[in-house]
Order: sequence, then structure tokens, then C-alpha cells
Amino acid sequence: MKYFAIGDEDTVLGFGMAGVRGRAVRDSQEAERVFGAALEDEEIGIIIITERIADMIRPVIERFVFTENFPLIVEVPDWRGPVEGRPGIRELVNSAIGISL
Amino acid sequence: MEQYELAPTKTNLIRLHEDLKFATLGYELLDQKRNILVVELLGLVDQAVDFQSRMNEELQKAYATLQEAVLRMGKIRVRQITAAVNIDVDIRLSTRRVMGVTLPVVDTEFTENAPYFSPVGTTFRVDSSLESFKAVLQLMGKMAELRISVLRLANEVRKTIRKVNALEKIAIPELEETVSYIQNRLEENERDMFVLMKMVKKRLEEKKLQNITEKESGRSH
Repeated sequence: MKYFAIGDEDTVLGFGMAGVRGRAVRDSQEAERVFGAALEDEEIGIIIITERIADMIRPVIERFVFTENFPLIVEVPDWRGPVEGRPGIRELVNSAIGISL
Repeated sequence: MEQYELAPTKTNLIRLHEDLKFATLGYELLDQKRNILVVELLGLVDQAVDFQSRMNEELQKAYATLQEAVLRMGKIRVRQITAAVNIDVDIRLSTRRVMGVTLPVVDTEFTENAPYFSPVGTTFRVDSSLESFKAVLQLMGKMAELRISVLRLANEVRKTIRKVNALEKIAIPELEETVSYIQNRLEENERDMFVLMKMVKKRLEEKKLQNITEKESGRSH
């Protein structure tokens, strides 16, 4: 199985250096289309998506993370750095189970 | 309260006792499940946070060197080099199960078919950027595994907590209440019967006494 990168041009270029295929997207419609196509592709095991693009299609991604097994989805910061005020893994867990760890 | 329309009989009492036993057993099992899941989750969260910060750090480095390479050589040239890079990244995905939750396991493997481009006219930054991105990918597999595991486990923990609470706060108290209600009714009936019997006995004795006195007065006349 392979990785697949969805993000802005530079991110996709960077991951391309390490042998990862990818598609650069600009708006949410494009992102949704590429994301959908990536889900269909059985060769793809992990989808790497930048935080900014992921935020554009947040509902689609949220629905996917909990229900399906594969592919896995990883959100990474793009070259501008992490988006401010994003909940980390710890915060996500706390809000999910309602107790603090 | 809802079960009060049940007739207060011995049969119902026995049945309810069994229901209560079953509910308590289920509660204990779910409570154990919750504890196991939370322990698993705690271990994974720490790892996931650690991996994420390491990956982000590596990623920033990778982006920075990529920017520099682009500045030195131009985007088109870098893209050409990228096209010439011949690294196969292969991931093997498998799953493991914890208390009925499916968690992914990821193995990342690189097959490098070097050399991929001429070093002539290429800045070293392309190489270092390439190395960084490779390191990122190495971390990425583990990090994806951990992150998705954590999210799925958290979801399962939430569901289990809801079930445990429903049993602990609603189902079990309701059953207990109904059981004690039926028990009280049965005891009350017993006391009623006891008093009734006493009264009947008293009446019978009174009647017997009356009969005897009547007979005796009849004989004396």
C-alpha cells in the first residue's frame, strides 16, 4: 500500500521527493473531489492531508476517522506551520470521553 | 417505578432477582472493559503526543530546506529532480483488536533505487530536504497508527462509559426498587394473613364457648 498526499503545492512537492504521490488542491470542492478519489483507490493506505485543507472538509473527514478501517488519515501542518488553536490529541481525547487524562 | 404494574407474586420476585443478578454481572464486565480501555488509551496518548511533536519538528525542518532548495534552483528544476527520485515507499497495514475495537498497525518500508539524479548543478539542500521528508514518513506511519488508535479507543471508551452509567444509575436501581417493592408487598400480605387467621381462630373459639354456655343453660332449664 502507498501514501497519498493532499495539500498545497509545496507540501505535495516535498512529499513527492520522498516518493509519495499526491495532488495539490486549492479550494474545498477540489479537496473533496481528490479526497473522495483517494478513498476509492485501493492502493492507498494512508492519506496525508495538510491541516488547512483538512479544515476545509472537516465534516467529511470526521465521519471517516471513526467509522472506516482503511485508509488512515493523518493531518500534518503545512509549510506555514501548525494552525493556531488546534486541539491536540490530548484535548481531542478529553473532549471525547469527558474526563481529563 | 415503571415496573410497579408487575403483580407482586413470588414468580415475579424470582424472575426479578435473576434479572438483577444479570444486570450486575453486565455492569461488572463493562466496568472492567472500561478500565482496560482507559489504561490502553493512556499509554497510547503519551506515545502519540510524543510522535506528533517529533514529526512536526522534522516536518518544519523538511519544509525549510525545501524552501531553500526552491530558492536556489527554482521550482521547475526542483520538480524535475523530484520526478527523477525513485524511492518506493511501501506500507503494510494490519490490525489488532483491543476489547472489540479494531486498531491499525502500520509498517513503513523504503526501497531506494539510487542514484536518482545527477549531483551536478544540484544544491545539497535537495538532499537534506529529501532526507528530512524520508524521516517524516518514517515517523508518519507510527504516528498515523497511534493517532487513529487513540481516536477509536476514545470513541469506544465514551460508548462504554455511557452503558456503564445507564446500568449503574438507571437499570440496577430500578430493578432493586421493584424487588424491594414486591418483597414488601409479599411480607405485608403475610402479615395480613396472619392477622386474619388469628381473628378467625378467635371467632371460632368464641362461637365454641357460646355453644357450650348455650348447651349448659339449656340443660339447667
